[in-house]
Amino acid sequence: MTDPEKYARADEDILKAMEKPGRAYLLGLGVTASLAVGGGLLWAYQIRNGLGVAGYTHPVNWAVYITNFVFWVGIAHSGTLISAVLYLFHARYRTSFNRPAEAMTVFALMVAGLFPLIHLGRSWVFYYLIPYPTERQLWVNFRSPLIWDVFAVGTYFTVSAVFFYVGMIPDLAIARRRREGIRKTIYAVLSLGWRGTGRQWRHYNMLYLFLASFATPLVASVHSVVSWDFAMSLLPGWHTTIFAPYFVAGAIFSGTAMVITLVVPMRKTFNLYRYITDDHFESIAKILLLTSLIVSYAYVIEFGLAWYSGNIFETELFRYRALGHYKVFFWIMVACNSIIPLTLFAMRLRRNIPYLLIVSLLVNVGMWLERFVIIVSSLSRDYDPYAWNALIYRPTYVEVGITLGAFGMFFMLYLLFVKTLPLLSISEIKEHL
Amino acid sequence: MIFDGKEEFVEALRRLVGEGVPPERIRVLTPFPLPEVDRILPRKRSNVRFFALIGAGTGTITGFALTILTTLSWPLIVGGKPIVSIPPFIIIAFALTILFGSLSTFLGFLLLSRLPSIRNIRSKEEYGNRFVILVEEGPTR
Amino acid sequence: MNRRSFLRFLGWISGSTVMTACGKRDSRPKLTSYLLPPEEGIVPGEARYLPTTCTECPAGCGGLAKLREGRPVKLEGIPGHPVSDGGLCVRGQSSLYRLYHPERLRSPMVRNGGKHQRMTWEKAFSLAAEALKESRERGHRNFFLSGRTTGTLSALIDTFCGRLGILRLPEFEVYAHSAVKEANGLLFGKRDVPHYRIEEADFLLTVGADILETHVTPVAYTRKISRAKSRGDFLWFHVEPHFSLTGANADRRFAVAPGGERYLLAFLLREVVEKRASKSRPPREFMDVFPPSPAEEVSRSAGIPVEALREIGDRLVAAKRPLVIVGGVSAAHQGGLEAAVSAALMQWATGAIPERVDFARSENYRSVGTFRDVEELSARMGRGEAGVVFLLRTNPVFSLPQRFAFRENLKKAKLSVGMGDFLDETLREADLVLPLSHSLESWGDAEPRRGVVSLLQPMLPPLHDTLSDGDALLGLLRKASGEGPAGSYKNHLFEAWGKRLGDSGRSKLLEQGYVEATPPGKAIPPNWKKAASVLKDTGPAGEVAKPVLVLASSLRTFDGRSRSLPLLSEIPDPLTTITYGPWISVTPDMAKRSGLEDGDEVTIASSDWKVVLPVKVQPYLPEGVFVVHRDALESPPVRMQARTGEPVEYIEGVSFAKTGRQAALPILSGSFSQQGRGIIPDPAHLDESRRHKRWTLYPEHEHKDYRWGMAIDLDLCNGCSACVAACHVENNVPAAGKADHLKGREMSWLRIEPFYEKGEVEFLPMLCQHCDNAPCETVCPVFAAYHNPEGLNVQVYARCVGTRYCSNNCPYKVRRFNWRQHGWPEPQRLMLNPDVNAREVGVMEKCTFCIQRIRAAKDKAKDESRKVRDGEFTTACAQSCPTGALVFGNLLDAESRVSRLARSGRAYRVFESIGTEPSIHYLRGKHPGRKT
Repeated sequence: MTDPEKYARADEDILKAMEKPGRAYLLGLGVTASLAVGGGLLWAYQIRNGLGVAGYTHPVNWAVYITNFVFWVGIAHSGTLISAVLYLFHARYRTSFNRPAEAMTVFALMVAGLFPLIHLGRSWVFYYLIPYPTERQLWVNFRSPLIWDVFAVGTYFTVSAVFFYVGMIPDLAIARRRREGIRKTIYAVLSLGWRGTGRQWRHYNMLYLFLASFATPLVASVHSVVSWDFAMSLLPGWHTTIFAPYFVAGAIFSGTAMVITLVVPMRKTFNLYRYITDDHFESIAKILLLTSLIVSYAYVIEFGLAWYSGNIFETELFRYRALGHYKVFFWIMVACNSIIPLTLFAMRLRRNIPYLLIVSLLVNVGMWLERFVIIVSSLSRDYDPYAWNALIYRPTYVEVGITLGAFGMFFMLYLLFVKTLPLLSISEIKEHL
Repeated sequence: MIFDGKEEFVEALRRLVGEGVPPERIRVLTPFPLPEVDRILPRKRSNVRFFALIGAGTGTITGFALTILTTLSWPLIVGGKPIVSIPPFIIIAFALTILFGSLSTFLGFLLLSRLPSIRNIRSKEEYGNRFVILVEEGPTR
Repeated sequence: MNRRSFLRFLGWISGSTVMTACGKRDSRPKLTSYLLPPEEGIVPGEARYLPTTCTECPAGCGGLAKLREGRPVKLEGIPGHPVSDGGLCVRGQSSLYRLYHPERLRSPMVRNGGKHQRMTWEKAFSLAAEALKESRERGHRNFFLSGRTTGTLSALIDTFCGRLGILRLPEFEVYAHSAVKEANGLLFGKRDVPHYRIEEADFLLTVGADILETHVTPVAYTRKISRAKSRGDFLWFHVEPHFSLTGANADRRFAVAPGGERYLLAFLLREVVEKRASKSRPPREFMDVFPPSPAEEVSRSAGIPVEALREIGDRLVAAKRPLVIVGGVSAAHQGGLEAAVSAALMQWATGAIPERVDFARSENYRSVGTFRDVEELSARMGRGEAGVVFLLRTNPVFSLPQRFAFRENLKKAKLSVGMGDFLDETLREADLVLPLSHSLESWGDAEPRRGVVSLLQPMLPPLHDTLSDGDALLGLLRKASGEGPAGSYKNHLFEAWGKRLGDSGRSKLLEQGYVEATPPGKAIPPNWKKAASVLKDTGPAGEVAKPVLVLASSLRTFDGRSRSLPLLSEIPDPLTTITYGPWISVTPDMAKRSGLEDGDEVTIASSDWKVVLPVKVQPYLPEGVFVVHRDALESPPVRMQARTGEPVEYIEGVSFAKTGRQAALPILSGSFSQQGRGIIPDPAHLDESRRHKRWTLYPEHEHKDYRWGMAIDLDLCNGCSACVAACHVENNVPAAGKADHLKGREMSWLRIEPFYEKGEVEFLPMLCQHCDNAPCETVCPVFAAYHNPEGLNVQVYARCVGTRYCSNNCPYKVRRFNWRQHGWPEPQRLMLNPDVNAREVGVMEKCTFCIQRIRAAKDKAKDESRKVRDGEFTTACAQSCPTGALVFGNLLDAESRVSRLARSGRAYRVFESIGTEPSIHYLRGKHPGRKT
């Protein structure tokens, strides 16, 4: 096959996904959209009746909502890792994943960004958290890790969105060429009139390099900042210096799992075997394995430190985490995050795509539970034993509904993405053909 | 000149330059970036990088200015810490460095690439996956 | 956050807020400013303080009502009051809830079929007058039964009954102290409860008397104990069959077998008489009749180890000024009279009369009758003798055993007239219900102790169509007899005061709220013959049938009368931290044997009675004993002592079975152990924490003029929870309710943490520590929590967005979140303190050190161009504390009380090692005699 034929086939293969949706797609979109709407309605209900409709059992003041926040921010991380860090490392297999991963980053951050607002006691004054000159003459407390979050997550979202968009410009120009009518106009506008001149490509490459360089520290910094929401407090189980690297590794771990979760069905549905090969999956499975090991190391170290410190507060907390009310979640988490991924040492299993999909799903579960366990179990056992609650925290239907709504929103956005935007980086694929 | 294949295009471009057509007058359109083009038509490096530098610098300064000036404008003691506590402010400055840096780089790119271009958005002219060489008229060397 | 996400969020939020905001938000009534005061003496924005007397229980503590815009918003103790001296207990603090209770009776009502119908006072009086006339014509007897009344009201009732030919029965109180009165009557010819001057004693032995909870006058006793402790040589032993707050606070506590007290006390009496060097010795005849019993035998029948017997005996013998008080459950059994007689003789033998046991100023219980009197009334009503029966502020239907059939017999009266403030069990049965005003709406007086006259005066016009006790009686008297004293009860009172106290005495009463006469005490010799006749068979006898259910008095509801006050259910019982009861306390052993855990339901039954209650495992409860508070049981099947008429507050030989169900029982404490965390450290622990000097990167911040702080003396604190109630009322802290408590969402800013360790219970009041390096402040993104220059950790509700991070980061967990919008049912809204705003849903709140009081004091000082003086004002909790354990003040002033206490060798701070630098200094150490 000649080059021109290959190029044409790449255009054809990838843009085919954007054609008229089938029944399964519409069903999926309907389900996810209704989940999202249901979550929104429950949020409205919560605003009306107060946070009491959630299952918080003091001193568990943070629970599922913050778990979701950290989970979704974590999911976002692999997008940046794949598109920015692997770009700087010239890792070829990134081409197969970068567009879905970047889309995932943007959507996950949209979802994540909602949760700090959902969890506020007074969501209607959320703008108090944004630094801008007001008649109240009061700015925000820049010493609070929550304000760091506002900046870190806000920056991360902006940079990821720009990165996502910039990467898409040449592909939007292709879409423009291959579509008619109003859609052609939309893609034309979105492509900004890209023509692919030598000068444009030169600036484009420089921009891409710089964006990648700017985004790379974000991979480390954003989740470090998120981890400081916990590490900067003095709560036993939260107040620890290993949280930043531990959370960053965990974020990449969960994000990578989510990429696999999204890309495996996508490859099958849109028949993209030519562009996303098993080799590519194997490479990404190695990332999963590596980060799993880092995370497991952190688990061990946390317990080791508590034991070695002899600090009564720490010791009790970690005893409680492994053997207390929430032990079931803890051990499921260990199984999903530390034990099952070890099987990926076997090359046969790494290359077994259905197996990989199952592992990645379990890792998603495990990583959600990790955040849950860290948040809820630590809050349950702090300094003053009088304040401990004999009652185990159980999320109410409001929290469960809003959590499902978040998943609904994420997958809805993703489904919309695959039908409306080029779902792989076509020009990059052509470059490597 | 329009080519279907990459090799023919690169060959033609090289020939053109060899014939003494000044590189400034040659414009190429490609479906993806070709490192060969940069080698054949040497240009100075993209100025996008200066935008990055200026943006990042502005971000750092803004970050520190915002945090320090606002806390001084209504000094409130929290947690027994000094009013101007630099370590937490570094985080804000860092975030703004990245934010301003990337936005300014993006703007720089748009500016230097003459994007968005209304004329090109409206133009029906498409070359698709083909490689194009345009030579502006003018005296040969 | 960029523009796109901002708009996105905005859309979400505005959509959802618009949806939720439809309708109610703007339907608030329009506010009109209070520019022209409608009444004289009301200055908008300024508080007035008027003296009154607390009527929540018979103790009659002096109260100072804080009035804002013409309505009482807080009750405090009157410093110097002869009964309470500035303290006010948890019930007293909560009694404002009675005034503003939404379920108070609002107008006279008559029973029509099964329902009560509203009517006017005029008609109600006519109805009663008619019935009285008819009853006279038919030859029926009319009866008048009231709860304990004193002073002018008691005299008025006499007039009322005399004129109308009504038989006034001795008053009905569950805690009538009949056995003690009977003993004193037999021995000294004085059927009285004497005034105990505990502060004079160096050794106090209390047997069963719950002097910190309900016994006669608990606030007075509490203050006396604190005074005695401050002297340094005071030692207090307590003996009881169950486990009470009083027992938890004694220096040593001994468990006695239920009903075994009389053997113990007889033994001790002999020890004292035989071994103590004293001039006063009983005559030989008495000693011959009074049988000696060997320690071993007494030990067996009283259920106390021999060593303990000897120890108590030795202390009694060795002490210079010992005092023995018997009462409560220890006098409420078949041997109660013997116990009381032994104790009274011991008081004589140790020379306690009249120095420490003062009959001249005895507590005013003489008009109070016994269970026998009400039994008789019930029987007479049952025989159809009764014409009109008046019931004034008393609830016999609830308190009397079913056996008395009071409820059924009351129906046989031709007309029953119930007078009270709530439709309680008794009033529900009454034919005619007359609503009475609250004491804060009425003129009146009280004479809780002989010689002490304490004032009641109206602070506001009655909220409902009610009359004061006196006016209701006068009105009825006039209607029924066609004559009677003219004018209102107020005139009647002023006349009576003038006659009794003279003009100057009356002015003094009106001004300071009380007057006190000081009658001299005198020594009285006992009647040995009668003593011998009672004590001749105190020799060891058979055992009490176990297991036994002890009916304990309740710190929170007295005999059950304060059950309806919502705040008292909101405040945890200090021993169990249960808020919304009822429950039954079970020993740990029994719980283990039967596989019971907190909250499991059990059936407790005697031969003809049973009740189902959830279990609370109570450490240190003696084996074979269950405890239930009297307020939990309606008509408990108690028996009566034949000789004294005192009820037997035990139900013997109960059976007990698991139902297999679990009840939702809100136990607020997560752990009754300190888990080794040194919250109340051992003294050794204390030294260790001193050795580690903390260092910090940051310079300490400066304080301007003041640095507010508190010292809490744990050696004095007894867990009585008065501070908790005071804080609730002062700061508009809402009652969260049972459902919220079950999720740990209590709202109280101040809590009492009980810790059970090494056989003792210690109480620690926990409130915001106002840390210098407060962890909550740093993490607040919006500066809602910050530190003010006077060292207060301030919470600005208007700024709070509700991230709850501050609460997560608070090691003391004292921050309270508004999980929902709390409301105050009408007319409870009127009792909100206008100086403190009521918090909105979704914001965090916590102790402010009563910043509104600090403000007021500073404003006053500024007007007078000076600084605030030490002791000039204090926080609501410290004001209310009957023990004086809480001391508030300026830590910058080296001479202030709080500074001196903070520097004392006993001071420590909770979790000092975390480095939060709290402003609250706890004091704990070995005080003399304390067992550690």
